Order: sequence, then C-alpha cells, then structure tokens
Amino acid sequence: MVDIIVLVKQMHDLEQIKPDPSTGEPMLEKSPFKMETISENAVEAAVQLKEKYGGKVTALLFGNSEAGQIMKKAYAMGCDDGYVITEYTGNNHLYTSQVLAEKIKTIKHDLILLGNQSADSVTGMLAGRLSAILGEPVLGNAVSIEIEGEDAKIKRVLEKNNYYVKTHLPAIISVTQEINEPRLPPVMRIMQAGRKPINSEKTTVQEIKNFTVVSNKAPISERKKLIFEDVDKGIEEVVKVIKEEMR
Amino acid sequence: MKFLTFSEDNQLLAQMITFLRSRGEVDAATSSDKDMPIEYGADVVYALRGNAQYDSISAALKNLFKSSGYDAIVIASTVLGREVAGHLSVGIDSDVAPELSSLEFKDGKAITKRWGYGGKTVIEETWNARVFTLLPGITDAEKNGSESTLKDIQLGDSRVEIISEEPKNLGGGNLESAKIIVSVGRGLGKKEGIEVAQKLADAVGGEIAGSRPVCLDYQWLSEDRQVGLSGKKVKPKVYIALGISGQIQHIAGMRGSKIVIAINKDKSAPIFEESDYGIVGDLYQVTPKLTEKLTG
Repeated sequence: MVDIIVLVKQMHDLEQIKPDPSTGEPMLEKSPFKMETISENAVEAAVQLKEKYGGKVTALLFGNSEAGQIMKKAYAMGCDDGYVITEYTGNNHLYTSQVLAEKIKTIKHDLILLGNQSADSVTGMLAGRLSAILGEPVLGNAVSIEIEGEDAKIKRVLEKNNYYVKTHLPAIISVTQEINEPRLPPVMRIMQAGRKPINSEKTTVQEIKNFTVVSNKAPISERKKLIFEDVDKGIEEVVKVIKEEMR
Repeated sequence: MKFLTFSEDNQLLAQMITFLRSRGEVDAATSSDKDMPIEYGADVVYALRGNAQYDSISAALKNLFKSSGYDAIVIASTVLGREVAGHLSVGIDSDVAPELSSLEFKDGKAITKRWGYGGKTVIEETWNARVFTLLPGITDAEKNGSESTLKDIQLGDSRVEIISEEPKNLGGGNLESAKIIVSVGRGLGKKEGIEVAQKLADAVGGEIAGSRPVCLDYQWLSEDRQVGLSGKKVKPKVYIALGISGQIQHIAGMRGSKIVIAINKDKSAPIFEESDYGIVGDLYQVTPKLTEKLTG
C-alpha cells in the first residue's frame, strides 16, 4: 500500500497562445487552461503505482476558477480524492511551494509525485523546495518507479549518465515526460468524475513576490520566410546559401 | 559582487566562471573530477567529495555561503543543478531566479531574461534573489591565464543512495559549437531515415540533431542530440530542419541560429514561420538531391 499525493498544475494551452499583433504580449484571455503536460505524466504514474501496490491517490492543485475541470480530469484518470487551493494568480514557484507544503502537511502520504519541470514555466524548482520545507528526500527525474518495503527506487535520468537510486519513504519523486503515456479515460469515468465533489479551500499563506516583470513579449522573428513550392528552385537557392556559409 | 558558482559538469562550470568573472569575484564548486576548471578566473575551486546528491551538495553550498559572504550563488541548469537550487534557496531563505539566458546586476537587483509560456515569449524581470540558475551555453568558456586554488570539501551524508550507474550511449558530438546542424523531426517517419540526414550532415561538415520525440521517445538519436527548450540551445550558422513541424519547445532551442532552412511536406507547418528558406516537399526526395549538389 502506498498513499500518494500527486501535484497537478494548471497552465494555458500553449499551442493556443498567440501574441497580440500590436504589443507582442501573449493574449492569455483567449487561451483556455488545461492540465499541464508533465502533471499528466505524474497523475498517470501515481495511478499506475496505486494499481500495482494498492493505496490512495490524492490530487493537489493550486489553481484559479478554472481548476475544477482540471481536477475532474485527474479524477477521471483515477485519482481518488482532490483538493483545489484557490486564488492562484500566476507562476511564482516560491509561493506555490509554500502553499502546497502547507496543505501537504495535513495529508497522510508515503509519496509525493510531481512533474520535473512544468511545460510552461520550466523552472524545475518545486521538488528541491518541497524537499527542504517538508524534510522529505527527493528522487528526481524518474523514468521508472518501484516500491520495495519502506523504500522507493527509481531509474534517474541525468544528462550524461543514468542511475538507479533509492531512499526511504516518505519521499518526493519528480517524473519525466518519458515515464509513461497518460491514459485517455473512458467516457464512463469522465461522467463519474463529473459528479464527484471537489474540495476547494483558501490558503493562509501570504504571497511573497520577489520579482517584477519588466516585459513579456513574443520575440520578433526576423526570418526571411522565403518558401519554395518549386522543389528544384528551392534546392538551387538553398545550395547557394549553404555554400556561402561553408566558405 | 562576489559569486559562488556550482555545476557537476565542469564544461558548464567553465562557461559560468567565464560569464561571472567580468561581473565580480568568483569562487566555483564542482562535484566532478574530470577537467577541473582551474584556468578560467575563479579564485578558489572547491572539489566536493563524497556522495554528491542534491541534498549533500546543497548543505555544502549553504555552509560556504554562510561562512564566505557571497552575494549570489549561480548554478548551471541541469537536472541536479535545479534540485540543488530549489533545496538551497529554502536553506538560505532566498528566492531563485530560474532558467536564465541573461543576468546582469544593477543597484542591488538582478535583471534577468528567461523564456515564458514554453518558449512563446521572453520575460524580462528584476529579481530580489540570491540563487540563480543559468541555461547551459550562457557564454563560451575562455581561459584567462590565471590559476585557481584547489580546495577539497568532504560532503556530508545524503538520503539518496546510489544502487547502480548506467552509462549512456551518447553521440559525443558538440552541438553547441557546430557551424552547421542538420536536425530531424517526427516527419522522418522511420529510424532508417537518419542515414539520409547523416549523409547531408557529412556533406556539409555538420552535426546531426533531433527534436524531442526523435531523441527521447523513439530514440533514433542519442539524448544529447536533442535540440529544444528541454534540450540543447544551439546557434549554428545554418540550421537545416528536416521533417520538423516547429513546435514552440523546439523553436526555443534553435532560435539563435543565423540561417534556418526547413524542408517539410506540410506547407502549413509552423517551422516555415521560423525559417529563412523553406522547401515544401518530401524530405526523402529533397534531401538526397541537396546532398548531391553539396558534395565535392
């Protein structure tokens, strides 16, 4: 039996973010929220561990008014229970780690699972921060997870080598996008999930913000964009360009 | 400013010392013995000995920070580096300005740049933080004729135990310094297609690279050849994209290229928006012709 807390992030659908043509700033209001990509892998990993070892999966999401539909997806994928901490105002990993840690302390668990780096802000800060705040060890960048008695064991993927590492439970495990293929829940599960209540609460942690955004704009593409549908003409032009650069 | 910089990768550490030495005094810490970066301008290079995991490294850096009066700790953004930065930031009660492609200091504040929304935007910020993670390739490493003092530090215990190590089969190429890169995407369709791309790379004296699915999901190329937000950030003179659709996470890794050439059979592929020259066509027909004209 392993009781697991899985951390779920909400993010704007990145493929739908377009820059405002006049300011270059992202038009976020036109891009709906969805479950962050690697959070999906974390949920899948948590549910697979439950299916293998038994136990309970609790999803925890720091979100805004859109969080309900994302939590329902987590339910449909197999999470047993879920908490939404409301009043998320944007990416701030320091504050997020404090808000999540406050709630985690109240939930009995053997494991905390999360994505290694979110697809939108990519900071990769949460695992280390939660480890220090909660006093639980991290096994990071897992592509496989096993539980052996009181220990968790993972295959850890680093840039130059891979390792098998282990630690005692309770522990935090961050997963990579390659650990699994998140399931598409059947319609029945989605309907059941829709009826399941969502526990929603406010945090008591005061936000500390140590950064000020000066600008946030799409980089201006200065590419020539000369596109050839006549293949032979295209090859001729491209050969010229490459030869020039090879000199 | 007085900096302490850490990486477990001494190539990255040499880059960071080079980057920081024009901004203040630098000491460095490494957990690797290979190619100690002692000629790049750090006053002291600390060799961290023992079980080098995120928690034991964080504890050692915290001790140095408390005892030696550093203004900032700058860590290379690797898997281990990010874990160390997060853990350490709690220990020294600081924030972390993460994943930076630019870092300057003015009036006690850090002025930074990083990617936003998975590479869609560039966010410029000012930070009140003592810990920073820098993207690999922040600058080229350059020796400056100095020699650092080497000091050993014995790491304390870690709660992470290594059971076994598994060396990776890495390509060994150096994408960051390549002049020409031939990069392949999902549109390649099959592993055998690598050969077609490799022939073009050979003809132009370039390196072969790939998108995330090609390197990580299908493993047609080794992991160290992945270009993208989560892979290598490259800046060749010519970047030739074969069958790459142009997802934003990929673009973020190759935006620094001088000239981008794309070959894709889908006329509406987003890669063409990020290209100087594009050929709409089947890469299996176009690439061999291109290779032939560039050979000899």
